[in-house]
Amino acid sequence: MTDIQREDIHIISRYSNLTEQGIEKALKENVYNDKEKWERFLRVFFITLGIGFTVSGIIFFFAYNWAELHKFAKIGLTQGLVIITTILVLYPKIDINIRSIILTGSAILVGVLFAVFGQIYQTGANAYDFFLAWTVFVTLWVIVSNFAPLWLLYLILINTTIILYSEQVAKDWSEVFVFTLLFIINTIALLLSFLLSKYKKLATIPNWFINTVTLASTSYATIGIVIGIFDKYQVVFPILIFITSIVFTLGIWHGLKAKSGFYLSVIPFNLIVIISAFLIKISDGEMMFLLVSFFIIASVTLVIKNLINIQKKWTNER
Amino acid sequence: MRDKENIKELLDYFQTKEDKELQFEEEAIVSAYQNKNNNQSLAIKVLSVFGGLLASITFLGFLFIAGLYNSDVGLLIFGALCIAGAIWINKEYDKIIIDTVSVSSFIIGFILLSFGLDKLEMTENAISVVFIFIALLSLGIVQNYIISFISILIINGSILTLIISNEGYNLIHIYVAALALIVTYVFLKEAKIISTNKALSKLYNPIRIGSIFSLLSGLIILGKKGVLPIPTDYIWLSSIIFVSAIIYLLSYLFEVLDITKIQHKAGIYIFSVLLLLPTALSPAISGAFLIIMLSFLVNYKIGLAIGIISFIYFISQYYYDLNFTLLNKSILLFLSGILFIGLYFFTHKKLTSNEKV
Repeated sequence: MTDIQREDIHIISRYSNLTEQGIEKALKENVYNDKEKWERFLRVFFITLGIGFTVSGIIFFFAYNWAELHKFAKIGLTQGLVIITTILVLYPKIDINIRSIILTGSAILVGVLFAVFGQIYQTGANAYDFFLAWTVFVTLWVIVSNFAPLWLLYLILINTTIILYSEQVAKDWSEVFVFTLLFIINTIALLLSFLLSKYKKLATIPNWFINTVTLASTSYATIGIVIGIFDKYQVVFPILIFITSIVFTLGIWHGLKAKSGFYLSVIPFNLIVIISAFLIKISDGEMMFLLVSFFIIASVTLVIKNLINIQKKWTNER
Repeated sequence: MRDKENIKELLDYFQTKEDKELQFEEEAIVSAYQNKNNNQSLAIKVLSVFGGLLASITFLGFLFIAGLYNSDVGLLIFGALCIAGAIWINKEYDKIIIDTVSVSSFIIGFILLSFGLDKLEMTENAISVVFIFIALLSLGIVQNYIISFISILIINGSILTLIISNEGYNLIHIYVAALALIVTYVFLKEAKIISTNKALSKLYNPIRIGSIFSLLSGLIILGKKGVLPIPTDYIWLSSIIFVSAIIYLLSYLFEVLDITKIQHKAGIYIFSVLLLLPTALSPAISGAFLIIMLSFLVNYKIGLAIGIISFIYFISQYYYDLNFTLLNKSILLFLSGILFIGLYFFTHKKLTSNEKV
């Protein structure tokens, strides 16, 4: 028997005289969660709430005594937590996924440690060097664990470091340059994860990770170009356009090859935004806004039409 | 996509669930599956919504630069035309391709109407009532997923505007309670609703997601202090509705989990009420828990994700708002943690011993 989904029951009930009782039975048998799943759900629910509440109780307890603690005790406590969690990770009996989750916790605790350090010695909590130190000191764990959420945390740290550095130290960097830099770094991360999953087969990289990085990278490119269109001319702008056109072409090519509708909708949408910005740069009169409005509707519709056709072709090939 | 043979198999399966001979409109089913194939991709849905929003924004830019917003009659006529056009085009061609056009036209229409009615010096109340009426009308005429979803959000927003602009803040409890009952009904009576008629069957999915979002907006107003100046005198009122709904759901759960003994049932009822009692003054927690339970019961993943995220948020808000010292809070948290870990081991043992029998 083919596996029946909610959608099937809805469609068939619409065009038949199925009774309420029949639908109810079909839903219960095929769609709704059964006893086994409920038991698992309740267990996970209780243990998560249990551990969550207990740990936050402990943290609140320290927070209560915090002001009175000596600075060695403060750093010592946080460091102790980092050490304990990291030792737990080395314990081979625990499931590998849970160990990775614990290691992600340790990586966050490293940030807490630097924050405590910054609080005691007044280095300021949002200075770029705080994030730089955090990034540098978790690098080894990130590489060893090869755990997607930890990699995402790492990328966020790198991005934050760059943005803060450009705001606090390199004040002469133009916005377009900052976005170009961010775009290049995230794109390199994206390409690396593609190559790793293809040739090394180290670990399967989950789709949500690749999609998130793709969204970040394309958004940086688009925002950079839109700012560049309205800003005064600068040397980095044509470079950004050049790299973007290569990356976007590669993205479309990959989308067609991997049969992924994601790339074939994200990249055209970014292009539509860029072209709209360009049109408004030419003239910001009322007629242009009207034209751009129609252009967006027409082009999005065109993209969707093509996507549908391509998807139809894919399903027929299968 | 399912092919004809596949569909045949499905129909045979459904026949086994019924006593009487079933009648199917096979051709309609086959063509419905062909259209559904277009509908599958989430990327396309998101693309059409974002495209629609962008187009609406630039169109508003056009209106303001051109100064067209000065003529009230023009705004009214044009707004009405936009909404009617969106509904008509959906009625005429029910295809995913025209979603971008209809969504932009629908949103632009409502914005223009609100400007126009405001120019005519209509009150907020009157505008809200008009909006509710138009949105209901559109739900009745066309059952497209995205348009229906937006209509439900417009209805919810209008009702909230009515409550806020009349400063009837206590009414929010009644509204949220009503929403909770509606959501519970929609989730539990899926079979009844989709077997009533074709229009309701098509509206089922947008109503479900729309009512969850509406309930969530109500919970945020209740759960986050300072969003609205709600008097706290009647705040337990919503809690009673949520807890009653959860208790009612437990009876469904007993059926799934094969719990039959009266003592066990009574114990679980009492324990659940005791557990929820400390949250009586922040109803958002039990509300979020209701969303989690309902979504898991019918295996609705988006609802489950929304429920879990809001549950975590409201719990944190609850402890943040508590007027206790950090020490008392930490003891309270620690004890609840131990309680849940205990519950885990208790149920773990109970369930495994049940399996042996």
